Amino acid sequence: MTVLSEAGSALSHGGSRAIRRSPYPGWFFLPAALIYGVLFLAPTFASLYFSLTRWTLFNSTFIGLDNFAQFFREPFLVQGPVNTVLYAAVTSGLKVVLGMLLALLLTSAIMGRGYLRSVVFFPVLVSTVGVGITFTVLMHPTRGMINDTPALFGIKGPGWLVDPRLALFSVALVDVWKGVGPATVIYIAGIVAIPKDYYEAARIDGATKWQNFLYVTLPLSRPATATVIILSFIGGLRTFDLIWAMTRGGPGFASDTIASVIYKQYRAGFYGLSTAGNVVLFVLIGIWSCR
Amino acid sequence: MKSRPSIFLGIIAIPVSALVFLVPFAFIILTAFKNKQQATLLDFSWPDGFHLWNNIVEVVTTRNWMLLTAFINSTILTVASVTLPVIFAAMVGFVLARRKTRWNGLIEFLILAGLMIPPAVVPTIWLLQGIGLFGKLHGPVLIEVAYGLPFSIILYRAFIATIPRELDEAAIIDGARPFDVFFRIILPLLWPVTVTNIVVQSVGVFNDFTNPLYYLPGNANATVQLTLYNFQSQFNTSYNLLFTNILLITIPPLLVFLFFNRHIVAGMTAGAVKG
Amino acid sequence: MAGLELKSLRKSYGEVEVIKGVDLNVEHGEFVVFVGPSGCGKSTLLRMIAGLEEITGGDLFIGDKLCNDVEPRDRGIAMVFQSYALYPHMSVYDNVGFGLKLAGAPTDVRDRKVREAARILQMEHLLDRKPSQLSGGQRQRVAIGRAIVRQPEVFLFDEPLSNLDAALRVDMRMELSKLHHDTGATMIYVTHDRVEAMTTADKIVVLNAGVVQQVGSPIELYQRPANLFVAGFIGSPKMNFVELTVEKLGPDSVTVSGKDIGPTTVPADPTSLKPGDTVTPGIRPHDLTDQSSGNLVGEVSLVERLGNETNVSLRLPSGAARLAVLDGDHELRIGQSLPLAFAPDRAVIFNKSGIALHRK
Repeated sequence: MTVLSEAGSALSHGGSRAIRRSPYPGWFFLPAALIYGVLFLAPTFASLYFSLTRWTLFNSTFIGLDNFAQFFREPFLVQGPVNTVLYAAVTSGLKVVLGMLLALLLTSAIMGRGYLRSVVFFPVLVSTVGVGITFTVLMHPTRGMINDTPALFGIKGPGWLVDPRLALFSVALVDVWKGVGPATVIYIAGIVAIPKDYYEAARIDGATKWQNFLYVTLPLSRPATATVIILSFIGGLRTFDLIWAMTRGGPGFASDTIASVIYKQYRAGFYGLSTAGNVVLFVLIGIWSCR
Repeated sequence: MKSRPSIFLGIIAIPVSALVFLVPFAFIILTAFKNKQQATLLDFSWPDGFHLWNNIVEVVTTRNWMLLTAFINSTILTVASVTLPVIFAAMVGFVLARRKTRWNGLIEFLILAGLMIPPAVVPTIWLLQGIGLFGKLHGPVLIEVAYGLPFSIILYRAFIATIPRELDEAAIIDGARPFDVFFRIILPLLWPVTVTNIVVQSVGVFNDFTNPLYYLPGNANATVQLTLYNFQSQFNTSYNLLFTNILLITIPPLLVFLFFNRHIVAGMTAGAVKG
Repeated sequence: MAGLELKSLRKSYGEVEVIKGVDLNVEHGEFVVFVGPSGCGKSTLLRMIAGLEEITGGDLFIGDKLCNDVEPRDRGIAMVFQSYALYPHMSVYDNVGFGLKLAGAPTDVRDRKVREAARILQMEHLLDRKPSQLSGGQRQRVAIGRAIVRQPEVFLFDEPLSNLDAALRVDMRMELSKLHHDTGATMIYVTHDRVEAMTTADKIVVLNAGVVQQVGSPIELYQRPANLFVAGFIGSPKMNFVELTVEKLGPDSVTVSGKDIGPTTVPADPTSLKPGDTVTPGIRPHDLTDQSSGNLVGEVSLVERLGNETNVSLRLPSGAARLAVLDGDHELRIGQSLPLAFAPDRAVIFNKSGIALHRK
């Protein structure tokens, strides 16, 4: 019966049954897809091949996994991936903790709230290189402002950027200084979105301020925490400009990350090796975001 | 029972925040006012005299007015690479929010990938050379567009999802073609997000250092961030000039911040929640 | 000037069929109401007529034109949405004139038509406002204005009054009836509100689960429901159903009895029945009266006194609950027993599969 009637209607329409155009045409994707495909996707896929070659930009020789082997064999290259993960972990951890604390402070009734919000957020807008140069000067071991203060009491401050054990963490601190603003803003949005009812219910149940935080604010701002972690960890893995402006990976290779190694190898003309670094970073981010 | 603003917390927070966040800026400004000898001391002190104007003149005129060229280049790069994707991204966001197909999953994956995966630098250079755009301003414009699209698309898609579909349908009944629905109904309604998008992206592109470093070699094409990097070695002993440079290139984002503060914050949270 | 013809119209989303072959004729100038519970497919059917949903099978004629694959703008229809769907960035004037603008009408023609529509709807003073500056009722008017300015042959309304408060809804309902009277256009109106359906329609189409249950005038549906679903859906409060056994068959009547009711002879078509069958007579609450001689006796479980009438919930001997609406005020105690009577010719007999057995 069903079959019959459908066949009948198909017949009665003959060839006129044209598919009506969707009001949401597929070609709207086209301009964006073209630019994105050519300038982002194509190089990304090409990198998978070129990372397996010795490459001069004009011709490439397939050498298998040699680049990757070198990447994990040479001591000055191995430092890169280790530092990268360390840097991402330190910066995102600090941004989560400080962002949360600042957001709590800035959503509470506090004198000068508008000023505080602006001040915390403003460093985001300043050029990273500018910030890097400024803090390089401020962290100068003998003349820098940061060490001037302890020097007044006769204490010798640390060699922030010249001490190989400290350099990476000093840069990470500056990263947090510059990037805690967005983390705070995300937390503020998350905390403000928590319905007042929960706090009122908790108050009727006799919760203290600390319990309010522990059982209402903290669990209900978990989406914000997830966002901050994702954004700052991936941002940390990719960081190049701040490290380059402050230490150029030095002293020695002490603060090299994958991104700075990619640039150094590129400058040195080892294009295959540089691209292999890209693939390592790519895989690292892939693994981390699939966890 | 609304509690009064806590003065106690404020008394602690305001000076601490000033010390942590404002002193570095004050240092930049003070050093830009100093002469070479005093600046070399690298200390936080009042300038001996007013040397800002001399410093500006010297920074701007050095290396054949390179900073001026750089400002022009940066402006072109920023304006072009921020306006182009507005319409493209809104188009994608529109169809993506409205039409459910089995491709949506893949498209969304590619967009997320674009947000997270670092671009493959050397292959991109190789490709730019292949199509003759390496070392020219067009190349980086398209690059910034490509890198900026995912964020814009996510922003637009989230916003378009809040526009009721009945609006499209009313327009269709009124006789609108797909083109009309988008350009006459949807696009005008996107204005608030478009402002956010333009503000956030332009600050990003103006402050971008990495991409011009790779894709715009040579002094003729330098952007403002590159001048800073180039001057860093040249002005190694002239901290007054280095910090004057920093001060000058911080002014445009500062203006943006003063006028569009709300939009930037909105963009941060909107992009973040969906990202 | 156009009527509509739907021929075994079908709609499915993948495997799921939501409209299962609808046949319907709408005369030119008729006011037709699609009514049914939510999810019955009434809005989908309307949207298929509008051209907003693809037609999976069957034929749709508007006027004499096969419209399955015709763009909405070429169907000669206009539609008013539940949310009104006014363009927020345009003034009322531009909202009403948008369709004409797209059609390329000259400015002076457009201006005349927009002002004419505004005059009909008494909203000339609102033309410069944005939708956000309007009240719910005013938005409704603009949405209607946007429809009439296109001078459609068929108006489509998708639950247009459900966002208004009760008082405004009654006003707008009357105004829509007036609009129908004045324009003489065909109108198709979707609602889940039975009162709205009963008061406005020339013809009601009752839908359930994608199938037309009955088509007819409001009174026809009330007095001669085709099946249990329609009987239960139309009329408020809901019709009472009692399961009884067939005792005896007459030439055009059936005598039924059961635990709750003694033998009663009800007019019905007996041809498909035999003694001993189970049937379900339906009795409307308003048709029950309290009479000491009544053969339906129940125990009062709840009394709602409204002054002009009294709603009484009863528990019958079988345990089933029934509702009666008695004229005037009655002082009743919970737990007391109350005998009720009904005129047998007001009852409707439904067979086991729920089909009404009306006397021919």
